[in-house]
Amino acid sequence: MNKKNIIQWFTFGIFRALSYLVVLILFFILGFIIYNGIGVISWEFLTGFPEDGMTKGGILPAIVGTLCLMAGSMIFAFPVGVMSGIYINEYAGNNWAVKFIRIMTNNLSGIPSIVFGLFGMSLFVNTLGFGDSILAGSLTLGLLVLPLVIRTTEEAMKAIPDSFRTGSLALGATRLQTIWRVILPMAFPNIITGLILSVGRVSGETAPILFTVAAYFLPKLPASIFDQVMALPYHLYVISTSGTDIEASRSMAYGTALVLISIVLLINILANSLRKYFGNKVKTN
Amino acid sequence: MNHLEKEMLALRNEVLDMWALVYSQLEKTKGALLKDNKDLAREVISRERRVNAYELKIDSDCENYIALYSPVAIDLRLVLSLLKINGTLERIGDFAEGISRFVIDTYEKKYDSLIREMRLEEMFDELLEMLEGSRKALESEETKMSGCLFAKDEYVDNLYDQSLQKISEYIKMHSEDALTCIFLAILSRKLERIGDHCNNIVEEIVFYIDAKVLKHAGKHKEV
Amino acid sequence: MDEKKIKLEAKNVNFYYDDFHALKGINMQIEQNSVVAFIGPSGCGKSTFLRLFNRMNDLIDGTHLTGECLLDGRDIYDKRVHVDELRKNVGMVFQKPNPFPKTIFENVAYGLRVNGVKDEKYIKQRVEESLQSAALWEEVKDKLKKSAFELSGGQQQRLCIARAMAISPSVLLMDEPASALDPISTAKIEELIHELKKDYTIVIVTHNMQQAARVSDKTGFFLLGELIEYDQTKKIFLNPEKESTQNYITGRFG
Repeated sequence: MNKKNIIQWFTFGIFRALSYLVVLILFFILGFIIYNGIGVISWEFLTGFPEDGMTKGGILPAIVGTLCLMAGSMIFAFPVGVMSGIYINEYAGNNWAVKFIRIMTNNLSGIPSIVFGLFGMSLFVNTLGFGDSILAGSLTLGLLVLPLVIRTTEEAMKAIPDSFRTGSLALGATRLQTIWRVILPMAFPNIITGLILSVGRVSGETAPILFTVAAYFLPKLPASIFDQVMALPYHLYVISTSGTDIEASRSMAYGTALVLISIVLLINILANSLRKYFGNKVKTN
Repeated sequence: MNHLEKEMLALRNEVLDMWALVYSQLEKTKGALLKDNKDLAREVISRERRVNAYELKIDSDCENYIALYSPVAIDLRLVLSLLKINGTLERIGDFAEGISRFVIDTYEKKYDSLIREMRLEEMFDELLEMLEGSRKALESEETKMSGCLFAKDEYVDNLYDQSLQKISEYIKMHSEDALTCIFLAILSRKLERIGDHCNNIVEEIVFYIDAKVLKHAGKHKEV
Repeated sequence: MDEKKIKLEAKNVNFYYDDFHALKGINMQIEQNSVVAFIGPSGCGKSTFLRLFNRMNDLIDGTHLTGECLLDGRDIYDKRVHVDELRKNVGMVFQKPNPFPKTIFENVAYGLRVNGVKDEKYIKQRVEESLQSAALWEEVKDKLKKSAFELSGGQQQRLCIARAMAISPSVLLMDEPASALDPISTAKIEELIHELKKDYTIVIVTHNMQQAARVSDKTGFFLLGELIEYDQTKKIFLNPEKESTQNYITGRFG
């Protein structure tokens, strides 16, 4: 073995060790949470309301709240993000306006989430008068993930070779027809992935909902989009830092974390199967 | 059949038409000579122009075929053979014309018996059979009869040698006809050359179909 | 020979990519129902010139055209001409087969659908006719509902030809239609081109000189944005006027 090969062997050895380390850490965290949290998971835990200063009972309002926020933010972010992505990539050409939009979206994604929370509070909660509500929280979360949706849409469209566009245009199709009938169906699986990633992000965010929607303790389910809700990450934060009896609610906290992780995991699995499904379907639509 | 094959077929058919034309020229020349028919001879001479035109046409079609379709393997061999056969047929046409001119300018009835002794009719028949046989060989893409055709050429060569004998005997007796006799000798020589040309044609066909080069290979017994 | 109708015509065409002078004063007439091949080294402008006739160059920023491009005597760059109407009339086949990720049937039907045809019976009939004229019907008639991606490269390219023909254009532009295909598929495409000239005027760009020789009636040789020679294909390949043409087709270039 000569020197070149030794260096290569050594370098890739380090790379491999580091990759395994990452997986190892991930499994450690997961294992830790499952180990500590699995004991409290029960039907009552998933479907009950918090009791005794949140040291007992269930977390149903938080689960429902998080699901509401996920759906709400997506209803806002998905159409806006996808449409912007399409516009930037397909229509706008490459002028200064597009460059500006692109820089701005990138900046948007660099803003700390707590700033989104404050912004959401001042715009949606106060100025527009939505109050602390699902609507305000969803819009704030939607804003937060908008850059992600735009970017993934853009990337998904960019990945479609130009030959499909020219092929369609050469048949007398307009640009809109080309996007609608050829490009979007092809980009859809990848757009879906971006969407799911954003949902995952939304489900875990705490700061943006802090001032816009989250309730400290609310033992009832929301009735309209103007209601406050509990949310899993915030609930987790509350019972592990500022609850009435932190020690007593420790196992509750692990259970909540496990539920949150499971939801994210489920969503990812769903995303992958959706992607595969559309990926196959797109060939024959 | 794709359009290249169609073009090739058209080219081949043109050469086969040329073949038929030259065959009829030779046949008419035979009639002109043996029956002393000067009208037939004149017809041959006037139709020689058509043979020449046909040769040019086939030449240019072959050129185009090669230029446009870059033939290879069997296609290339066919085009090359057709090109050479074309030239050879034209030469045969020339000979027929030359003989016809002789019939018009020089020939008289009194040589009929000499011609019979020279067995020119037999030579003509052999040559016509060779022409026809080689044409069939190309048409059917079959080289089985090539040996038989080569044998005919040798037979024509023999007839030629014998005809020279007859002429020399004739000159000894009729020295006043020496010039005409020389012409007749040349005529016989022309027929012998036609035989050689037919031979070449058969060789080209063998080259095309079996990809064997028989030229200058000496005796053709192995074929 | 009787005078044929002029289908496409370029009058003193100059074309620029930004500052780059890509086509220099091109004049050309293309007769109806003929096959014209453009040959020349890469970057000589032949593809650019081809794409002028269905205005595909419009999609590129910073291009500029002077002179006239005429289809049936009408300037296709006139403001009153709708570009999608033009492209309906001037079909195009690309270098790489680019079927859509749809079924074989929908690929061919696509052009009809985007041009507003709703009559399913008519669409079905046109799809079959087009696949038949593209010599593909026999191979795909039992799997019209299958994805076009399941076809071989050569079949995909014939599908693209069928797709282009479905909207009944009168001109077919082909940009190196066989360069990504194996020899058998290439021969099939060439045979198809030969058949199609009965109904279409075909312009084909090719890097393969033998292909130009085999399929075309007339050939144009481009070099550095100029049309060096344009004549009967027989003439070009047997006895070209210009020395540079001769050097190119004999491979003695440079």
